Amino acid sequence: MAAALPPFWSLVEAHGDELLVHARKLAGEQHAEDVLQEAFLRALRAYPRLRHARHLRAWLYRITTTTAFDLHRVRRREVVTDEPPTVPVEDDHDDGGFEALIAPLPEAARTALILRFVEDLDYDAIGASLDCSPVAARQRVSTAVRSLRERLPS
Amino acid sequence: MTPLSDRFLESLAAAAVHDGLADAVFTRLSTPIGRLLVVQGAEGVVRVGFEEEPEDRLLADVAAGVGPRIVASDRELATTRDALSAYLEGDSDSLALPVDLRLARAPFRREVLETLHREVGRGATISYGALASRSGHPRAARAVGTACARNPVPLVVPCHRVLPSTGGVGSYGGGVARKVALLELEGVLPRRLPSTG
Repeated sequence: MAAALPPFWSLVEAHGDELLVHARKLAGEQHAEDVLQEAFLRALRAYPRLRHARHLRAWLYRITTTTAFDLHRVRRREVVTDEPPTVPVEDDHDDGGFEALIAPLPEAARTALILRFVEDLDYDAIGASLDCSPVAARQRVSTAVRSLRERLPS
Repeated sequence: MTPLSDRFLESLAAAAVHDGLADAVFTRLSTPIGRLLVVQGAEGVVRVGFEEEPEDRLLADVAAGVGPRIVASDRELATTRDALSAYLEGDSDSLALPVDLRLARAPFRREVLETLHREVGRGATISYGALASRSGHPRAARAVGTACARNPVPLVVPCHRVLPSTGGVGSYGGGVARKVALLELEGVLPRRLPSTG
């Protein structure tokens, strides 16, 4: 079997709080907990199939992001449209959903999100990579998350 | 950052169990013999840890043996918690919990622990040698000692009831003081302190 994966709950305890903040930014206070619960359940479904235990935090951020968008689509469909439901499966570390989600963003935003949530870099390293300070790096990621949020049609 | 609420965590764990996504569930429990960590799989209790054992290492061992999808829930393990509390507080005479001995990896150790779980009830004791014979390995008293020392589910499989034939209480994975306390609770040893019951 795969490399030793940590007990799943240790990820919930270590990263749950910050993931809830992320879910709030994307889905709003009202839906944040629903998004996060669904994201953790999707992560559990995929967890035993992971081939390594690296960058699990970034992986959870990506799942939370795609889940926020999927649940938003479901809610909209219930209200106004009749698009067919999409049932995404996070098969592995390379969940295509996240990349597709950020594809329409401006390049600067996309780069910031990839460095943070795919490459799993901290703000020091992102700053080094973008040739700016860690504070500025944090700001760029935060701006990028906001532009992602704006793509959620209201 | 606001921490996740207990309500959220319980709801997540319940959904994971309901959807068949949990390999095991754990709970932390305060008892008269200290804090316990109890881990349970679909078949029964797989691990009981005393408070001296580092929790992260214990759960990592369980993850390696049972699977990494481990969640925490007091509510999902309410029956097990109630049974252990009642037993350790002296409100209940027996501790009949299903057990899953997957973490006792050697077949010999599993046999010994199964025999002990099945045959040695509250108030009874057995010597290492007698337990060896009863498990079908009459010459393996010393190995029985190892099996007991590494019992992954103390209390539920009552290795505190295994005593040396030479007298005294012998050793215990959870420390001799706890072994004595358990034997007092079960009436095998006289209580040193007057009972308040």
